[in-house]
Amino acid sequence: MLQNRRRFIRDSSLGVLTFYLAGCEVEMTAEQAHRAGVTRQVFNEAEAEALGALAEVLLPGSIDLGLVEYVDQQLGAPLDQQMLMIKYLGVNPPFAPFYQGGLAALDQAATAAHGDRFAQLDSAQQTALVAAVAQGQVENWSGPPAPFFYFVLRNDAVDVTYGTKAGIEGLGIPYMAHIEPPSPWGQ
Amino acid sequence: MAKEKVDVVIVGSGAAGSNIAARLAAGGKAVKILEAGPDRTNDHLVSSGLWARRLKWSGAPVLEEGANPVGHVFNAGQGTGGSAMHHYAVWPRFHPQDFRCRSEHDRGLDWPISYEDLAPFYDLVQTESGIAGDAEREVWRPPGEPYPLPPVPLFPQGQILERGFDARGMKTAPLPLAVTSVAYQGRDPCIWDGWCDSGCPIGALANPVTVDLPKAFAAGAVLETDATVTRILTDAVGERATGVEVVNSAGERREVLADIVVLAAFSIQNPRLLLASATAQHPRGLANSSGRVGQYIMTHSAGLIYGLFKEPTQSFMGAFGGQLVNQDGYEKTTHSDSGAFGSYQWMIAQAVKPNDLLGIGPTRADLFGNDLHSFMKRAARGFATMTAVVEDLPVADNKVVLSDDQRDANGVPLARVTHTTDPQSKSLWDATLVEGQAIFKAAGADEVWTGPQGAMHIMGGTIMGADPATSVTNSYGQCHDLPNLVIAGPGLFPTSAGVNPTYTVHALAARSADHLLDNWGSAVV
Repeated sequence: MLQNRRRFIRDSSLGVLTFYLAGCEVEMTAEQAHRAGVTRQVFNEAEAEALGALAEVLLPGSIDLGLVEYVDQQLGAPLDQQMLMIKYLGVNPPFAPFYQGGLAALDQAATAAHGDRFAQLDSAQQTALVAAVAQGQVENWSGPPAPFFYFVLRNDAVDVTYGTKAGIEGLGIPYMAHIEPPSPWGQ
Repeated sequence: MAKEKVDVVIVGSGAAGSNIAARLAAGGKAVKILEAGPDRTNDHLVSSGLWARRLKWSGAPVLEEGANPVGHVFNAGQGTGGSAMHHYAVWPRFHPQDFRCRSEHDRGLDWPISYEDLAPFYDLVQTESGIAGDAEREVWRPPGEPYPLPPVPLFPQGQILERGFDARGMKTAPLPLAVTSVAYQGRDPCIWDGWCDSGCPIGALANPVTVDLPKAFAAGAVLETDATVTRILTDAVGERATGVEVVNSAGERREVLADIVVLAAFSIQNPRLLLASATAQHPRGLANSSGRVGQYIMTHSAGLIYGLFKEPTQSFMGAFGGQLVNQDGYEKTTHSDSGAFGSYQWMIAQAVKPNDLLGIGPTRADLFGNDLHSFMKRAARGFATMTAVVEDLPVADNKVVLSDDQRDANGVPLARVTHTTDPQSKSLWDATLVEGQAIFKAAGADEVWTGPQGAMHIMGGTIMGADPATSVTNSYGQCHDLPNLVIAGPGLFPTSAGVNPTYTVHALAARSADHLLDNWGSAVV
């Protein structure tokens, strides 16, 4: 009975996140959502592009693991269902303005320095700009405190990459779950 | 407005509220527990640091200010079991000197009770909840019955760090944990998988859902979730609490009337409710004739030490709280040469996961890109950590007040919390970082680094005391101004000590409940 209930939970409400695909609600992992090209709820095209590019600099591979879709879905979820680390980093909800403000500032900084948006910069330019953001050394930064913005986004990338069963086991660490999570952002 | 009447209404289903509920219900009282968050049982828990964040506070925002914010959402919880659902079950006792800080050191405050007053309740609670430890090896431990359960096993991370303490002539003992090292009172033994932060679905860790709430329910107590208390009600002359006003997520308001009202909604929401329940007789807020409601908010500074070792540490094994303890620095003047004051302990060899705030990834926030991938791979093999629990001196200006201009959806002003660490406590935190790094080096670490001044636990805000002019409650948590309004939880602490608070929360709750049952007539009148 317990196992059946567990399976029910795992396969249903806790099993996956709810995304929107072709006007329909679809339950899937963030990685599946990334491959399927789901409809975003919060980010516009420019924001999604900047977030994806930033994620790849922070932790290569995280874009394919569905980081953009994960953050977007989470920002649209009820607060008591949210799992973003920003929830307990001293920022009061709603959290979307924090992300959108930071991504806009990133694009502005890229444009000021190189004449193009962050996603369009070459790898070396992106890495140098992220390093400057991390150290709070971007002039006329218009978003939330730059090092904190870096810290939050970096942790989201770590969550998506190393917070899942696949990510943990990929490091050679046995997952050892009492109750396995619903394979989010992994399989 | 709809009304119901019970003997006792308890606001909050966390450690304090659940313990009092179990005792008063067993004593024959009709008990109603109101919990603002969702209904949750151990069946709802998932072993994942991401899903665990749903156990954290998601109620009305708390506005945090000051140089060292208390980290409310991280430390607080919501839903059945409250914050204790994600606590790590490190249960040391406070020391006798913690109760006499003002008398002995002319700093901080005195408690209205001594260690000896609380000792019988520590003994009682450890039997009920089951604490694993080794009282003999814990040479700093105050007098008391030995632990009912054998100690936590030692894994490689603990063995490696123990070397460092040995090399520096410092002692270690198994960390006292309210975790079943063997089967206990129908609870399965822990499998030391390091998922305590996510709640413990097998009931090995002594959270309210596992220990106290089943007893409360068996004795007839009723838990109502999705029940946010918005106001404490009083009689016409303002001498007694008569119940609470409660609202659900559909916006339906009603009153729950009771002979005794227990506030067990943690250190921020308790004073918020008192302040928001001001009346003509209590214009500064209920139970606030002293002006102390909201004051003396405290949080332990976390002295975070990290290191990489050549040998495999298996840091994913064990309990989230750690494997070993050291309290060699418990004397409050240990580091007085550097201007530091207070007690501290080391929690040694915590189980860690790759992500989350206390995981491996954030410890090297300077790294990103492939450097971060590379670090994660090395750390997965040889990472080790320990944490100092650093006493926070009570400061009156570290306090909860009501926001002048921001309210929640129910119209209750938000809590505004200011906390700046006292310089002597900050110096003690600095000293622990120096000591901790030396221990890691002595243990043979290849790399050693430290973390920022984290905030662990939230205490104070409704302190107990002997003098009604300078405290909110008596030693049983009864408000000086309204004796049938009872406060429970770490908000009662006049000082924070240098150890984790949850065991003492239980002992105080047990003492309060016994007193109420023995003196029901005078408490209710």
